[in-house]
Amino acid sequence: MTIDILFIWTAFKEIIRALPITLILTIFPLLAGFIIGLAVALIRIYKVKFLSGIANGYVSFFRGTPIIMHIMLIYFGFPLLIDQISKKFDLGIQSNSIPIILFVLTALSLSAGAYLSEIFRSGIISVSNGQMEAAYSVGMNSFQAMTRIVLPQAIAQSIPNFTNIFIGFLHTSSIAFIVSQKEMTGAANIVASTNLKFLESFIAAGLIYWGLTIIAEGLSFLIEKKATAYNRGGVQ
Amino acid sequence: MGKAFDPSLIVDFIPTLIYYLGVTLQILAASVLLGMVIGIAAAILRVFRIPVLNQFVILYISFIRGTPILIQLFLVFYGLPAILLFINIDISRMDALYFVIITYALSNGAHFAEIFRGAIKAVDYGQTEAAYSVGMNNSQSFFRIVLPQAIRIAFPNIANSIIGSLKDTSLAFTIGVMDMMGRGETLIAATAHALEVYLSLAVIYYAVVLLFEKIFRLYENRINRHQSVDVSVTG
Repeated sequence: MTIDILFIWTAFKEIIRALPITLILTIFPLLAGFIIGLAVALIRIYKVKFLSGIANGYVSFFRGTPIIMHIMLIYFGFPLLIDQISKKFDLGIQSNSIPIILFVLTALSLSAGAYLSEIFRSGIISVSNGQMEAAYSVGMNSFQAMTRIVLPQAIAQSIPNFTNIFIGFLHTSSIAFIVSQKEMTGAANIVASTNLKFLESFIAAGLIYWGLTIIAEGLSFLIEKKATAYNRGGVQ
Repeated sequence: MGKAFDPSLIVDFIPTLIYYLGVTLQILAASVLLGMVIGIAAAILRVFRIPVLNQFVILYISFIRGTPILIQLFLVFYGLPAILLFINIDISRMDALYFVIITYALSNGAHFAEIFRGAIKAVDYGQTEAAYSVGMNNSQSFFRIVLPQAIRIAFPNIANSIIGSLKDTSLAFTIGVMDMMGRGETLIAATAHALEVYLSLAVIYYAVVLLFEKIFRLYENRINRHQSVDVSVTG
């Protein structure tokens, strides 16, 4: 087995065509997870009765089990559930007509929600209580103080954490190949097994992921500089 | 979609699957220990800015943090035999378990290196000066004074990293290792009760993660017992 350097480039061109699916599998779950995470974090911070118990259990379970479990449980569980409901209410929806990618997106969104809620929670807690009091003192109500004063600061401070989650989920999307999604790892696997050049294909895939990660880190650095521009006092 | 959902099977599958928890923990323990050695070595190279090796470690850490563990697993699985063939060592028949351990050790090593580097930098420089003032040399002050304190600072992050690594071991089955997940796959092939198998796996992983969190929290309290109160109150 020798390494065919030229084939890496061939594989690279083939694999990068699957980039849109990888990006969908990364960005959509994070957007959905952003909403879930914010809601869950607020429920946990304000200790909303009954709901906060569910929120705690949700975060603990999803952070305590591998993400491949979430994908598999939803991939095998949801069709069963949908067929049952469909039969009961005579909706005529067939689970096998639903594209698999929707199950993967659901699973990843739920995982992203759990991970992001922890980041929101720590971000919100890290904003000094004086900010809230100052907002009250100028006549804002709780909702205004939260959305106009606390959340913008909490989110700006959490940008490095968001970047880590983004990179984490970019890498996690590679798991989708196990349920035969043709994203980048899936594409690399196909290229590898049709040409019997496994090492070269995965080197190409690795390089693409590496490049994406470096771009994401660079962008995050720029965004962070802009978002925390207000915070120049003290140390710097 | 196989047979009807049978909740009682979830409980039935747990003993079969938990039997393979040993393999999972074996991968975890070996890769964490090896990763710890790699991590400390890499962190020292970074902190003392050893020429050439420093740049090499930066590249290594960037690569590991920039690629999915699944890709790393495939790269080691297909790449290591190819590289070792150049020096006439044939390991293509080696048990897949070792490839998994090597991959996770390399991955853990990179993550630990970053954690240790941050922790070493977080130790007050006054500690090194104090060590010099009582007559220690460079390596004595580093290994006896700075590193033990750095490990204490690094511990919560190391613990998180280990738990993350435990969850990552669930991907080892993709190169054919018979760990819990691999046994689960064969159970599915034999019984066609996929959902039940994955539910029992989720239960086991969740229980192990909760147990680890508990143990790490107890240990963290123990290593922090000499810290003054004002530090631990904020935590």
